[in-house]
Amino acid sequence: MKISGIKYLVGQGVDNVWKNRMMAFASFCVLLVSLLLVGISVLAYWNATSIIGGVESKNEVIVYLEDNTTDEEISQIGNDLRTVPNVAEVLFYSKEEAYASLKQSMADYQVLFESLGDDNPLVDAYRIRVEDIGQITNTIAVIRTFDHIYSIRAPYDFVNILVQLRKILMWVMGALVLAMVIVSMVIISNTTKASVYSRREEIQIMKYVGATDAFIRFPFFIEGMITGFFAGLLALGITWLVYTSVVNTLEEQSALLSIIGMGNIIRFSDIYLQVAGCYIFGGAMIGALGSSISIRKYINV
Amino acid sequence: MVELKDVSVTYSSGVDALNHVSLKINDGDFAFVVGSSGAGKSTMIKLLLKEIDATEGKVMVNGYNLSKLKRNKIPELRRTIGIVFQDFRLIPTMTVYDNIAFVLRVIDAPTKYIRKRVPYVISLVGLQAKTNSYPTELSGGEKQRVAIARALVNDPKLIIADEPTGNIDPELSYEIVDLLKGINECGTTVLMVTHEHDLVRHFGGRIINIVDGEVVYDEILGGTDED
Repeated sequence: MKISGIKYLVGQGVDNVWKNRMMAFASFCVLLVSLLLVGISVLAYWNATSIIGGVESKNEVIVYLEDNTTDEEISQIGNDLRTVPNVAEVLFYSKEEAYASLKQSMADYQVLFESLGDDNPLVDAYRIRVEDIGQITNTIAVIRTFDHIYSIRAPYDFVNILVQLRKILMWVMGALVLAMVIVSMVIISNTTKASVYSRREEIQIMKYVGATDAFIRFPFFIEGMITGFFAGLLALGITWLVYTSVVNTLEEQSALLSIIGMGNIIRFSDIYLQVAGCYIFGGAMIGALGSSISIRKYINV
Repeated sequence: MVELKDVSVTYSSGVDALNHVSLKINDGDFAFVVGSSGAGKSTMIKLLLKEIDATEGKVMVNGYNLSKLKRNKIPELRRTIGIVFQDFRLIPTMTVYDNIAFVLRVIDAPTKYIRKRVPYVISLVGLQAKTNSYPTELSGGEKQRVAIARALVNDPKLIIADEPTGNIDPELSYEIVDLLKGINECGTTVLMVTHEHDLVRHFGGRIINIVDGEVVYDEILGGTDED
């Protein structure tokens, strides 16, 4: 096709938005609502998993070593721990540090420590942070096979609650996002079908005068793309406003923040590029494909 | 050239729309196809445009064997045919100029040619003053003239007019057929489907009568406006 032909078809697509402005506006609104439903659900899901991830990362497993373990063996155990799958961080916590910390936390009971004299009843330990808290049982099982391990302390109850919570959240939010995507697709499909139905005669005329399928589809593709682009742009603006005001409101709730940790809430400035890309590109593509696919029924003349 | 050899069309509902029809319309001919509603006239048009396929027999249109024509070649066939509908089927959002130019844009004709050809065809149907009007601003007769100009602009070998006078005033019907006759005199084959017997009697020529899917009459008659 010549450049002039492509220019004509693009022009037709742009003109059609205005000529069919009522249906274009309906498609625009449906796309906007659909993008917002899916977008906000995904953002809520991201934040929920980030908050749970933040809480999880605060957990640690303490590996106590036998009292007679030599410095070389302690060092070797540290190296071995770092090679265990799912171990994210390994910190040595000497019995001297532990004893000093204990003394400080029990300052009112100095008499107890005085009776011990120079004896330190505590043992050396490693503090470990795991990557995936759901795998903590397997990780501990591996560590138990090491020599010179006296005992291991892990927050099993807390882990179980978090794992359950994460599972429930994943299912609920996943189902919500999926439901929003399906609802949006059904609404978009019906709206574009209605829009195309109102122009079925125009499509048939094009077919009768010898237009190829691609020639007919292209302006619909452009028209849908323009509608979707602007729906994505407005969805981005609305999301930015709503999201930022929600985060600002949360910042004022210090009690809530102490539980979830402000650092675990995703800032809009950190994700605006991904959000903008998804909204604008997604909107344009859904609009373009929606309308060009919907004409298939009327193109077979 | 249009040739149907022993063509039958049976719809999926079991209705026999055409039954062993054979006929030939040579290049440059003008033929009226007459018949009552449900006789098979519309089926014949659909067949010639390859909107449907023959259940049996062979259909040739402008050198294309339609039973062997692939789907992606249908636009090529249709570009050799100009079609005029009873209900005009103009695109309401386009002006008269654009409705006609559209056909040339479909075939990727150069812009320079479009700018020259479209006003010429508009002048042939006498609608220069309505060039920038929209279909809603035209009378029935004017709309049909635009439809004829659209059918003509691509310089097709064959024009199929499906009841072109069905939606316009009787006195204007004669003008429309006169216009089609004029186009035919320039060498274009014209196949006009109608059920207006007065019109056929007036103009005369080749008459093909279809009854219940069969050609029962195919003769040349002298018209009453011979002079």
